[in-house]
Amino acid sequence: MTELARMIAGKKVSPVEVVQAHLDRIAAIDGKLKSYITVMGDSALAAARAAEAAVQSGASLGPLHGVPVGLKDLYCTKGVKTTGGSKLLGEWVPAEDATVTARLAAAGAICLGKLNMHEFAYGPEGLNPHYGTPWNPWDVATHRICGGSSSGSGASVAAGICPGALGSDTGGSIRIPASLCGLSGIKPTYGRVSRAGVLPLAWSMDHVGPMCRSAADCALMLAPMAGYDPRDPTTSVLPVPNYGAALSGQVKGLRIGLLRTFFLESAGAVQRAALEAAAKLLEGQGATVEPVDLKKVDLAPAVSHAVLAPEAYAYHEEWLKTRAAEYGPDVRERLRLGAFVTGAEYLKGQRLRALLRDEVDQAFAKLDVLLAPTTPVEATAVGQNEVRIGDGTFPVRPTLIRYTRPFNLTGHPAASVPCGFTAEGLPIGLQIVGRPFDEATVLRVADAYQRLTDWHTRRAPLGG
Amino acid sequence: MRYSPGMEKLTVDTLRTLARAQGLELTDAELAALLPLVEGGRQSLAAIRDLPVESEPASQFRIF
Repeated sequence: MTELARMIAGKKVSPVEVVQAHLDRIAAIDGKLKSYITVMGDSALAAARAAEAAVQSGASLGPLHGVPVGLKDLYCTKGVKTTGGSKLLGEWVPAEDATVTARLAAAGAICLGKLNMHEFAYGPEGLNPHYGTPWNPWDVATHRICGGSSSGSGASVAAGICPGALGSDTGGSIRIPASLCGLSGIKPTYGRVSRAGVLPLAWSMDHVGPMCRSAADCALMLAPMAGYDPRDPTTSVLPVPNYGAALSGQVKGLRIGLLRTFFLESAGAVQRAALEAAAKLLEGQGATVEPVDLKKVDLAPAVSHAVLAPEAYAYHEEWLKTRAAEYGPDVRERLRLGAFVTGAEYLKGQRLRALLRDEVDQAFAKLDVLLAPTTPVEATAVGQNEVRIGDGTFPVRPTLIRYTRPFNLTGHPAASVPCGFTAEGLPIGLQIVGRPFDEATVLRVADAYQRLTDWHTRRAPLGG
Repeated sequence: MRYSPGMEKLTVDTLRTLARAQGLELTDAELAALLPLVEGGRQSLAAIRDLPVESEPASQFRIF
């Protein structure tokens, strides 16, 4: 994206050519990939023609001028249907843009279309019974999950039919597909980016953010999205730093914590080795690395259930009573679970959540970032319900969200970047967690790592 | 509808009663499919129910 924006601004490539090339690739491969629910070809080309005219006229250009992007189909788009990956909203056309939709357009981005996802964002595999389950581009032969819920965002960027996409993350839905699809993605601090006009899964745990090829691209895309929004009362008034300027390539003197118990020690062997190698590489550049244990983090699954399930149920309650048959079976059952959590249990979850947050904050009293695997395992096959790690067998769903969910509860910013591949050629993700509102340091470490490695430059066999 | 750790095992009939109290009318097949998930949720919540905690609910998070 960064290079594309530079080439467009420098008149080396036309936005019309760029958009048309992406639309042609979508037409060629998305029948198998199923990453888009709605392709906005006509409006994208019209915007590209306007962008080209602006370049030719010497007008002031935004940082994403003429660069195509995709939106997970839970971002409201004025005049364009927004399904949430559901049949329930299959024909719903919002009257307003989400704040981030409008901010990306104001920065010059051109929306190629609306991307597939786990129905209503309620699942970490990225399955979808209504629009088809996106195909992970890293395995041409076997239909593997992209990770979710932002599975279309992961598939489209990995396959090269979208330079950058928006995901949303309630339990890991940006970082998990970034990990499983070999991408870079960042879940900003809760309150850093507006959720106004974004269909909710759980208001107090939802985060929105970009998924791109590199940390530098994430910085480019995050900057115009971030900042206070009067439409979202949970956004912060803190100023947004210059993320691009933070990418110094330097990690010397940074204090890095390696999350051990609960994280590293339960990961698959190849994920563990990749994380240790990444930590060693950063240490070699002058960072200090020390092991860290979060003693309360094993409460996260129960606390998450206490908070997420009733929030999701509250949003869907009326539809569950009147239009339940229109949900896919897995999401319908999961949503119904929220009816059986009491108010007292919900508040107990919120009280314990404060303890989790405080414990992570305490770790940051002497550390700048924390490292962990993003997921314990690589992409599993669609329909696979269990996965082996070491000598044990574990259910896929909770395994996928094990390392990401704690930071939805605490609100800390967290990114995932590629840090290796399995013997089968499937990507592995490195999770980098930062202090509240310190996305700049998270992106700086991610970018510095990517200047030392080439994992993020490798291309998936399907698309690429 | 607060479950105590020692509460007897849920059945389809008790789950139907609980669901109806929430205004949800579910078929026997739906209740049977939901039952193990609700049981799993109960076990999960039982693990945190009696943990001592002094802090107020985290109703606001990062609005500095």
